[in-house]
Amino acid sequence: MNAVTLKKDGAINLNGKTVRSDALEYLSFQIALEKGYTLRSFFKMLDKYTLFAKLNDFFPTYTKQYHSCAEQGCKTGLLDYLEFGKTVEMIGAPDKRLEIYNALFGIHASEATEIKSMQLDSLLDLPLKLGRLKHIVFGDRVDIFEFDTVYTLFELIDGIGWELSFHATPEHCELRR
Amino acid sequence: MFKKILFATTASPTCDNAAKVAFDLELKWDAKLYVFHVLGIPSRGYSPFVTDVRTGEIMEPDPDYIAWVKEEMKNTYDTLLADSENAVIEAAVGVPYREILRKARKEDIDLIIMGSHTRQEDIGATRYRNIVGSTMQRVAKSARCPVVIISRPCTTCWKLFSNIVFGTDFSKASDYAYKWAYRLAKEVGAKLHLFHACDLNTSATGVSIEQSEIEDQIAKAKEKIEKRYISKMNGYDNYEMEVREGIPYVEILKFAREKTGDLIVMAHHTREVDPEKAVLGSTVEQVVLRSACPVASVNHPDKVADF
Repeated sequence: MNAVTLKKDGAINLNGKTVRSDALEYLSFQIALEKGYTLRSFFKMLDKYTLFAKLNDFFPTYTKQYHSCAEQGCKTGLLDYLEFGKTVEMIGAPDKRLEIYNALFGIHASEATEIKSMQLDSLLDLPLKLGRLKHIVFGDRVDIFEFDTVYTLFELIDGIGWELSFHATPEHCELRR
Repeated sequence: MFKKILFATTASPTCDNAAKVAFDLELKWDAKLYVFHVLGIPSRGYSPFVTDVRTGEIMEPDPDYIAWVKEEMKNTYDTLLADSENAVIEAAVGVPYREILRKARKEDIDLIIMGSHTRQEDIGATRYRNIVGSTMQRVAKSARCPVVIISRPCTTCWKLFSNIVFGTDFSKASDYAYKWAYRLAKEVGAKLHLFHACDLNTSATGVSIEQSEIEDQIAKAKEKIEKRYISKMNGYDNYEMEVREGIPYVEILKFAREKTGDLIVMAHHTREVDPEKAVLGSTVEQVVLRSACPVASVNHPDKVADF
């Protein structure tokens, strides 16, 4: 499978060379993240390859918010890193179905934590890693298996966009009267 | 304004956020609060058995069992019940949405409060399932009173809330929602934000809208807000009007966040359709899913007609 490396500075690297600004053709490529890749690197990529920002309605809002954040030190002590993962669920009842989805979550002490209540400025500089595939079988009992897997560039952009669309918590409560 | 409130709960942690709001409201309005749980009928048609939400065991719901469930509900909400003055715990057997609607009709409920899901959902998973739990969806569609949906911990305080965002598409249903939002804002002294987003995506593919046309649309929307809503405010001056262009649900979420909204009020369905046939409009659904504050869906003129 064709692969690209996503660099810390937001560049997309193919065979050691930075790809040109129109990078749509690489959306189906497998990705590897450079060591030290963070959520900030992801936003730098959206700045460099502006067409990607059109993949989600919320990107313009969050890109704007990202630009207003401090240039470094945007991370919470509540999380060790962010993980992008894939889940395959087999559900037996009431109707048989298979669901496959990507999700971005925080990891602290090896435990997954939801990040939707956290502000962007506490997540930007956390390391971002690609996780393993989780296969969950909902039968008479729940079985969970984990496997190595690969992610495409589209999955990463789309999955992060979906997750960020939930980050709408106001920063403070304003009491007026 | 609210004499009787129905809090429809699964009596599980997924409804904890909604429970806090429900009990807060009971105290704020000195209302009677019905904490109502439907035990449910399992998937095999009209079986006499129910699945216990805590243990997952199949049980036969005789009176003793229902009494036990009520006792368990009391234990679940013991902290909130300690401060409560007028709450009653009730449980029934049946299909949840039908029983909730039946209860609301029977008791002439003014407001229904629900969580958006009956179980904890991964955000990723939400995308591939019904955005809103089907019980909630059916209740919101058919209830004759406003339904408040709470999907997140309420970071701002309903009890003391100060900013109500009313999103309108100028439909008749929006007019009902407005009446309710206005009355509520007036009663609690909150600021009422009247908001409309001009949906530019509805234009024909490939046709770009000129800036002057957008400005024209915005000016017309402002005029409509003046005429339909502001002119009926009888001197109430604690309001603000805002019209933006963009995708309605994205814009309303952004706006609510900017204004630190404590409650978003919208019509249940966003187009002119028969309320009996309407399902939760996609804009409301997207807003409920992501909103940090409670969302009130107003479906029917019944409870707002005399406002």
